[in-house]
Amino acid sequence: MGSMTEPAAVKTRRTPRPLDVDLGGAELRAICETMVLSRALDERMWLLNRQGRAHFTISCQGHEAAQVGTAAALRRGEDITLPYYRDLGVVLWMGMTPREVMLSFFARADDPNSGGRQMPNHWGHAGLRIISGSSPVGTQIPHAAGVALAAKIRHEPTVTAVYFGEGTTSEGDFHEGLNFAAIHRLPVIFVCENNGYAISVPRHKQMATATVAERAAAYGMPGIAVDGTDVLAVYRVMRRAVDRARSGQGPTLIDTRVHRFTPHSSDDDDRVYRPPEEVESARQQDPVEKFRRTLVQHDLLTTAQDHELRERVAAIVEDAVVFAEQSPLPAAADLTRHVFAESGRR
Amino acid sequence: MAANQEKPPRRANHAARQPAKTPPAGGGGGVPPSRAGPAQERRARGLGHPGPGGFGPPGRLAFTPEHREELQRLWGEMVLIRRFEERVAEMYTRARIGGYTHLNIGEEATVVGALTTLRPDDYIFSNYRDHGHALVRGIAPRAIMAELFGKETGVVHGRGGSMHIFDRERRFMGGYAIVGGPLALACGAGTAIRYRDEDLVVMCIFGEGSTNIGYFHESLNLAKLWRLPIVFLCVNNQYAMGAPVQADSSVPEIWRKPCAHDMPGERVDGMDLLAVCEAVTRAVRLAREQHEPSLVEALTYRYRGHSMADPARYRPQEEVNVWLARDPIVTFRQQLEQAGLMRPEEADAIERNAQALVDEAAQFAEASPAPEPTDLDRWVYA
Repeated sequence: MGSMTEPAAVKTRRTPRPLDVDLGGAELRAICETMVLSRALDERMWLLNRQGRAHFTISCQGHEAAQVGTAAALRRGEDITLPYYRDLGVVLWMGMTPREVMLSFFARADDPNSGGRQMPNHWGHAGLRIISGSSPVGTQIPHAAGVALAAKIRHEPTVTAVYFGEGTTSEGDFHEGLNFAAIHRLPVIFVCENNGYAISVPRHKQMATATVAERAAAYGMPGIAVDGTDVLAVYRVMRRAVDRARSGQGPTLIDTRVHRFTPHSSDDDDRVYRPPEEVESARQQDPVEKFRRTLVQHDLLTTAQDHELRERVAAIVEDAVVFAEQSPLPAAADLTRHVFAESGRR
Repeated sequence: MAANQEKPPRRANHAARQPAKTPPAGGGGGVPPSRAGPAQERRARGLGHPGPGGFGPPGRLAFTPEHREELQRLWGEMVLIRRFEERVAEMYTRARIGGYTHLNIGEEATVVGALTTLRPDDYIFSNYRDHGHALVRGIAPRAIMAELFGKETGVVHGRGGSMHIFDRERRFMGGYAIVGGPLALACGAGTAIRYRDEDLVVMCIFGEGSTNIGYFHESLNLAKLWRLPIVFLCVNNQYAMGAPVQADSSVPEIWRKPCAHDMPGERVDGMDLLAVCEAVTRAVRLAREQHEPSLVEALTYRYRGHSMADPARYRPQEEVNVWLARDPIVTFRQQLEQAGLMRPEEADAIERNAQALVDEAAQFAEASPAPEPTDLDRWVYA
């Protein structure tokens, strides 16, 4: 039955829909590699933590498409990011090296994030214009409005991207930051990585609206919800928001719907508040695998390239771990460094 | 209404409530428990008795003969606030009142129209512009004036002053000096009401500047999430100190902001007492009957500066004149007279009565003793 239409249907499946992005094959492969690398580094951090070789980790797993997809629409070295603790994918794309990531993870003296002072995953890198955050959630949002205001006053073409989870959108800082950015039409993009859990609190128990995107209306800015497991969909939305911001049309709120594959952190046990099947079904939407399949479908990633990519990533992770673990801890004499700004340093 | 009467009373104070004599169709809130305090004081002030359960269903109160007394009483409340605040300004400039003082002058229709919809056992959280709110709630003018003077006979023994009027018995849960401060506290009271399964309402009063504070966002989120019976009354007098609303609020229409929490919001002409009363009555019913919080934005104007320390030079005189022409006390009086509901001699009597109350309050405050230095640490802890 339906045999007349069958060949046509098969044919459409064989010729996938064009990707509809302004990125070439090399750039798409780079995005894929960053996503694979984020996942591999993250998985290794969990292993190291469970082996007792590191104190703490908090994961990007499941968020990679939202992170790398948004970061890929930014200008490296020029645009400013204020990531939150899950944003390994963002900082890798913006230029942080896996060695630097692991130096931070092991709290070593040469860690560019904080010289081993901050908790792991508290990203900050002056050279890469990544602004360090605090542990209380949401403090980076008003900071981002301030950073964007500075760019506007100085007539710089810089765009600021600030990241946070959906739990943070119930914080007062979110309200104040978005209000200020909207009044002054600041070049800032608010990226929510909405994984449905504020630690253990499900979305419907901590906010009254169904989506984060609709909160944007209260500030007179566009709010866009996007499938955060689809890196190209995320990229397209972010691209428009970046163009809007850079051309002086003001801020945008992006609500990326993602899944968190891990417990909140290495100190959390999510089995007590969500069924394992939920995570299992979420893994069917694995953003990294999804994008790899897309590239293979479009002949943008050959089997040989895929194999090579995986080997390269594995080697990079191994190198970073060995390098960082052998690096020296901060000297006790340096205890008070990095607390206040030092003259002559930026 | 009928269903309400059939329910067994849950608490003692509910048992004290009498069924309405003529329950209006659709219900208009129950009849308040007989709390002698405020009512007696109102009679003493010659301002009549508060209508039971607010003013019934929307639209009930109109310029018609059967509301004659009620409407006159409401006008009298507005006049009392105006005279009281004028006297406060005078006493402030004569250095009888210290610290800061924020006047309700210009906002009388919003204050009276909104607060008059509440039952005596409902809760009120006000802000630093709280004299009028306290007066409408039935706190004696002399006790408020004495408080402003910092005297022992003040409503909180002279410890609070202008911004911290508080009366537990009347469930007037305070003025607050911190902008946005009462928002979160109102949620606490709302949670208590839900926890005890009471049919009470919390009214939380704040200015439009407060809606840019993080507290506003957090409080509305919780109120909606936990379905707290709160009426968020935003008195939009269009200036957050010297900042016009469009300079500090990305959405100058405050009524639109609760959409971030899936909460209804509505704007009303804050210079029109009956319009305020109608809108807030609906909001109160929503809160009381359905545990549904909502926001009412009353668009109004303060005729004076932000506080007595503000000469308000940031507003063009033409703008002030537009709003002065809409003076709620003048327009409401005209409406009453045109409808034949108040004769000039009645108006004069109400004016004289308000003046006398204010005179008495000022004399009382002046003559009252200051707190004893030995009592310094009293009233600090419960």
